[in-house]
Amino acid sequence: MSSKSKETIRGKAAVIGIGMSPVGQVPGKSPLWLAANAANKALADAGIGRDQVDGVLCGHAFAAPFHRFSVALSEYMGIRPTFSNTLQVSGATAATMFNIAAAAVNGGLAETVLIAGGDSLLTGMTPDMALRSMTESRDQQYEMPFGIPVSNTFAMTAHRHMKDYGTTAEQLAMVAVTQRNHALRTPGAQMTKPITVEDVLNSGLVTTPYHKLDCSLISDGGAAFIVTSAERAKSLGIKKPIYIMGGGECYTHEHIFLMPSVTTTGAVQSSKLAYDMAGYGPKDIDVAGVYDCFTGTVIMVLEDLGFCPKGEGGRFVQDGGMTYGGAVPCNTNGGLLSFAHPGIPGALFHFHEVISQLRGECGQRQVAGAELGLVHNLGAGFATAATTILGTENTL
Amino acid sequence: MISMEEAMKKPLPTPDGDSAAFWKGLHTEGKLLLQHCRKCGHIQYYQQGYCRQCGAEDLEHRPASGRGKVYSFSVVYRAPGPAFKGDTPYAVVLVQLDEGPRMISSMVDCDPEKVAFDMPVQLVCRKAADDITLPFFKPL
Ligand SMILES: [Zn+2]
Repeated sequence: MSSKSKETIRGKAAVIGIGMSPVGQVPGKSPLWLAANAANKALADAGIGRDQVDGVLCGHAFAAPFHRFSVALSEYMGIRPTFSNTLQVSGATAATMFNIAAAAVNGGLAETVLIAGGDSLLTGMTPDMALRSMTESRDQQYEMPFGIPVSNTFAMTAHRHMKDYGTTAEQLAMVAVTQRNHALRTPGAQMTKPITVEDVLNSGLVTTPYHKLDCSLISDGGAAFIVTSAERAKSLGIKKPIYIMGGGECYTHEHIFLMPSVTTTGAVQSSKLAYDMAGYGPKDIDVAGVYDCFTGTVIMVLEDLGFCPKGEGGRFVQDGGMTYGGAVPCNTNGGLLSFAHPGIPGALFHFHEVISQLRGECGQRQVAGAELGLVHNLGAGFATAATTILGTENTL
Repeated sequence: MISMEEAMKKPLPTPDGDSAAFWKGLHTEGKLLLQHCRKCGHIQYYQQGYCRQCGAEDLEHRPASGRGKVYSFSVVYRAPGPAFKGDTPYAVVLVQLDEGPRMISSMVDCDPEKVAFDMPVQLVCRKAADDITLPFFKPL
């Protein structure tokens, strides 16, 4: 069915406010504080009060005991929404929040949606507990008894990618090096020291083929956004609304051993849905946020998003395809590998960065003339995939 | 969030209505049971009430040969929490069983750093608790 013939969210919702809490090591601040701090900044950025928020979408926080984080956050902030949910599709949750918020404001479920996340994986939990908590997301019968960290599920996919396509450890490392270079220009980034390919290869094995510097950070932090209808964005006089142009999701398996292909991910399908809805293709994307829990994940997903042919992700990265001057500058804030990764907020930071790029507010790391951006989130050993395409008014 | 006390223990399966026969097969007979669909012929791991290919409920347990190959693997140097710290390094493997399905396990009786792609492997049953036996693999 042609997407043009059916009603979609394309261009009908806009992000009118963005906010971020302090990130990295933020001791003494709860996940709710981090989310509320970011939310207050997003409200101020949009120029509206919390009384105007009638929808709240959140992800879960590992370091907070709430089963209904979105409801807890609403109470914490003194908001009584008439639309709310706490979503859980692991690392893909952030993009689903944007897609769902766009649908909600166009389906009459809410007028103004607050998207927020906050977590304190670094100072709110011991390192052992943070790792074990993430492992708890694997299946208790058929995966966990074998000591499989969630990192291991991603490691096995990258490992097979190396065997099938000749992707090298140096190419994986190049993802970390590229993103570290990006982080050097990002105020507030957790990692600020330049690294080389050798540094990555010498950083100690975590789970083959991944070394410590192939793995994303453990951080504290929060991020928040205000989404409303395109009409309301106009009537509020928002200077530069960023429109949600397309969204797509794909869920191929739950257990890693049932992943249909170990080297091709749900990003193929989720991005196709988003591209078709937006009416754009991979060549049109000016800037991207690609979920980077591990270096190899980025290489596989760059292929699946159509930025390079299957199997050539390693070469693409080595040749500078994901940095300034390349085909599509990715993770220009440093990403989960070098900016910060506090769980759900980590992927929200990708949105914060891509939206900031589209608003032209990135200073020395600005991608010149960025009008169309893509964020791809994924999680749980590629079990979940969600893509959102965002654009300026010129892309409508 | 789990408690520190819980995190010190290795996680063990809690069999349910779908999986009781599977765990019993391992524990009492040393057999890895796969489900064969009588309607479409699909062979599946793990155990559940419906065929994942055609939706039929007519499923039969048959023991696997216990042989397979390493489709992918990752050697763990940094344990996922305190319970596995004493085991590192160990090789987690994605085994492609001769019957077709893939499963997650880990290698025993071998140098984890010698595990390789397409390496032939053989099932090894190891008792993990009074009522639970886990399916591991060793080089064939
Ligand atoms: Zn069947």
